[in-house]
Amino acid sequence: MPKVIKTKTEFEGRVLEEYVVVEGEGLTAWDAQAPLKFVGKKIPRIDGPERATGKAAYTFDVQLPGMLYGKILRSPHPHARIKNINTQRAETLPGVRAVLCYKNTPKISFRRQTFIFDEIVRYVGDEVACVIADDEEIAQDALELIEVEYEILPFVLDPEEALQPNAPKLYPDGNLLGGQPEVYQRGNLEQGFAQADVVIERTFRTQCALHNCMEPHGSVALWEGDSLTVWDSTQHIFGVREGLARLLGLPLHKVRVIKKYMGGGFGSKNNLGKYTVIAALAARMTGRPVKIVLDRHEENLATGNRPASIQRLKIGAKRDGALTALELKAIIAAGAYCLWPPSVGGPARELYACPNLKTEQYTVFTNTGPLSAFRAPGYVEGTFALESLMDELAKELGMDPLELRLKNYTEIDQTTGRPYSTKGLREAYERGAKLFGWPRRPEPQGQLRRGVGMASQIWSGNGMPPAYALVKINPDGTATVITGTQDIGTGTKTVLAQIAAEELGFPIEKISVEIGDTQMGLYAPLSAGSMTVASVGPAVRMAAHEARQQLLDVAAQVLEAPRESLTITDGLLSSPALQKPVAVHEVLKNLENFMIIGRGAREPNPEDVTVNTFGAQFAEVTVDTETGEVKVERIVAVHDSGRVINPLTLSSQIEGGIIQGLGYALFEQRVVDRNTGVVVNDNLENYKVPTALDIPEIVFEMVERPDPRANNLGAKGVGEPPIIPTAAAIANAVADALGVRIYELPLTREKILKALQH
Amino acid sequence: MRSFEYVNATNIKTAIALLSEPATEAIAGGTDLLGELKARLRSPRRLVNLKTLAKLREIRYSPQAGLRLGALVTLAEIERHPVIRERFSILAQAAASAATPQLRNMGTIGGNLCQKPRCWYYRNKLFPCWLKGGEKCFAEDGENKYHAILGADRCHAVHPSDLAPALIALDATLRVVGPDLDGEISLEELYTKPTESHRQMTILGPNELIVEIRVPTPKKAARGIYLKAMERQSWSFALVSVAAQLSFEGERIADARLVLGGVAAIPWRAKDSERILIGQKFSEELAERAAEAAVAGAQPLRENAYKVPLAKGLVKRALESLAG
Repeated sequence: MPKVIKTKTEFEGRVLEEYVVVEGEGLTAWDAQAPLKFVGKKIPRIDGPERATGKAAYTFDVQLPGMLYGKILRSPHPHARIKNINTQRAETLPGVRAVLCYKNTPKISFRRQTFIFDEIVRYVGDEVACVIADDEEIAQDALELIEVEYEILPFVLDPEEALQPNAPKLYPDGNLLGGQPEVYQRGNLEQGFAQADVVIERTFRTQCALHNCMEPHGSVALWEGDSLTVWDSTQHIFGVREGLARLLGLPLHKVRVIKKYMGGGFGSKNNLGKYTVIAALAARMTGRPVKIVLDRHEENLATGNRPASIQRLKIGAKRDGALTALELKAIIAAGAYCLWPPSVGGPARELYACPNLKTEQYTVFTNTGPLSAFRAPGYVEGTFALESLMDELAKELGMDPLELRLKNYTEIDQTTGRPYSTKGLREAYERGAKLFGWPRRPEPQGQLRRGVGMASQIWSGNGMPPAYALVKINPDGTATVITGTQDIGTGTKTVLAQIAAEELGFPIEKISVEIGDTQMGLYAPLSAGSMTVASVGPAVRMAAHEARQQLLDVAAQVLEAPRESLTITDGLLSSPALQKPVAVHEVLKNLENFMIIGRGAREPNPEDVTVNTFGAQFAEVTVDTETGEVKVERIVAVHDSGRVINPLTLSSQIEGGIIQGLGYALFEQRVVDRNTGVVVNDNLENYKVPTALDIPEIVFEMVERPDPRANNLGAKGVGEPPIIPTAAAIANAVADALGVRIYELPLTREKILKALQH
Repeated sequence: MRSFEYVNATNIKTAIALLSEPATEAIAGGTDLLGELKARLRSPRRLVNLKTLAKLREIRYSPQAGLRLGALVTLAEIERHPVIRERFSILAQAAASAATPQLRNMGTIGGNLCQKPRCWYYRNKLFPCWLKGGEKCFAEDGENKYHAILGADRCHAVHPSDLAPALIALDATLRVVGPDLDGEISLEELYTKPTESHRQMTILGPNELIVEIRVPTPKKAARGIYLKAMERQSWSFALVSVAAQLSFEGERIADARLVLGGVAAIPWRAKDSERILIGQKFSEELAERAAEAAVAGAQPLRENAYKVPLAKGLVKRALESLAG
């Protein structure tokens, strides 16, 4: 029976308290020793062949009869007021069907800070107008024919400058989000620093990083009467449905959002995009389906980023290494718009036992492309600063860096006072150190210097309600899992099939998984915060459990065997009362088209413990002191994300996270021209992601301990954890190699050579 | 990109006649041109496809005549060719270090030598930069970590080719054909610093084609190396590169050619360094002096000063490895 409760949930470093309706209690997680057939096994992706052979239809592949194409005109100025737009010449170009701008579209508020077509543009790349034409090239040609008269406004690109009283303002109430910093405090900071034997204070800077998902952002919109269907590259089909319905004034049942296959999001597709709303408006205006897919240039301008941060971090400790105080003042460059500022102070607040602590975060508007979530938002940046400073503290105290971390180990969530449900960080440290060979004796140093470093990871990954699923058993003994999540490339479909197969006792080939459709599916949360498996997985297990109960009820009657005696394995019903096992379809075949429907929901999170993920990574690098080249030779990672459902999809996450973390540590950086606000490396030539040759040897293990309090699977998320400590571990290894520390990412040759000159 | 007409060249002469028409450009591998067309930096009405000129795909070698590379030979073919790998190893090394396997399969040597700069202001339509006929160089007081440290004047872009420094170090020449021209020039002569009246990095006219690259066979006792510093292990233009070719008589350096990439608008021949090396026995101190001389007169901008120690380090390393 549904119950209404108030629950506390942590999502990306923020604790939310909200009412939710919960169901799904009653199933406990499988025991650690339970013999499982599919869960925990290396099951290849059930949709691998269609993805690998080009048969899977991504948003870009959707082709509808009579479809038109949209191209967006973007602001060339970092800050301007549109005085006038003349679209006449563009409209008369053959093949152009419509030109949308603020003059001929409803004024629709977007994220409370702007409008779908605003008369003020706040960064180079902000949406000005959109041409709808018979093909993309015509639309592109027409963009050049739109005449826009801009009143140029003063602009500010640097977040520290933006905080100055005389800085150009993006909004009437100033450039600071919320008008004040976000402050968290515990204990007595002054006393804490007074008790310290050693106090170190440093400023760390991290760059703005871009997602560059393989699949670009984009939507296809189709109206059938007053019903809207949108194929959208999104991490949250239900969020897009809600947003479209709200902005267009439609009831929810008239909006259908579909996302079947996805080529990555990394947080940049968490929310409804302007292009989606524009596609829907244009499709209504023209009476034809409209596709708007952004190109790589637009991806690097206008689809979000991991914002640059400036972190002033001060740490106090006793001689023995015990932390007495920690203070962080962080400035985040939000860009022009901001929905959800990253929680840069998260690691400082949570990672170590520290009684006196203050974090202060200034999220600042600047005339640059807006931030969005990006794989462990805030924690990647915050961990770089914190774990770098911990290494400096260890050096100052003459302690081994790992020993210092163990000295400040905590079994208690420092922010709530609650214990952790399970915490495998100590084991991660120990196993990682052993795999890596830590500590290593220093070697003689020539031109090629070798260094080692390590860093820790903390992140929620706990999942949350609500999430729902259905499992139907078909008359032929196959089963279909139905839910409204989306597989953003992580292998969600495969994992859900494993869970259903395990619970039903069916072979995995007999399971299909239908996701990514709001009209056919049930609500599931956004695929973010490393929470899909831990949110949707338990609902699927519950649905499969319920379906199995019904099947047993029916089978007991059909087979005339005691219900308690029946078991299901490999799709066969067995009982001592039966001569031989009976296939499920044999039971169902004489019941006409009887269909079993099991319904499941995610259970509530526990209130008395904190459910988190943990991990540690160790890096070995070589630095060429003549050419400034940094080569990461080896990364060893040990993470604790509870039970592993699929070691194959998990390894993709661990390796992918480490590789993305390596790119962030060494190369990746959005470059904005200081004089014009234009992103100059808006392409994959100059926005440098790691290539195959940059990838080091990666060795990883999991502390595989199911977390019985987390949910009925004992599993937690693993999408974000592996990226969190990588840059910090690499930076610590580089500092070890050089003997001096570089306080700013990425660690390019430029910075290495500069550090070596001094 | 905008629409254009596409014509297959049937022979060199007709190709040149076609290229003499206005708004007409040549396309071979297209790896550079298509980028410019997509960015709408240029909008030719007609493209002349040179890939139909089968003769220009040949690689010929004889010890006397040296190496002859048709302009359409791809970077991948150069990288893999056994004779080039053995006798012209700098060239094979340079080809292998360029771009990605996909781009090397498409890109031709002729196009590589004639490619336009990668300067992010030049490549972005929002900047009416001097090289494109505008008033100013946006890199000068802008984002200039990839820009020139040597010899820059109105434009601070660097020449991006990996093959050019290697081929100049090998003393390569070109056969160039135009409407009233069929002659040979040294590769070094091809390159020019852009000037007020000639905002180009080569002296080639729009209807002149490189048809062949000729490389003399290096002396027996010659050794060469191409070193390239990139921001990552592949798929990057050079931050700085060095092509060095030394020949020895006994212990002494008989001849030296040292060419730097990524530091200037042209492949930068370090003649002072060459003079320092010629006639001397190798020593670490000599390498140090030659490296120093290679970047003497460098005028770094705000963000590219690192190229000075980087260039020095690479020159030194190249010389050490050739002497060793």
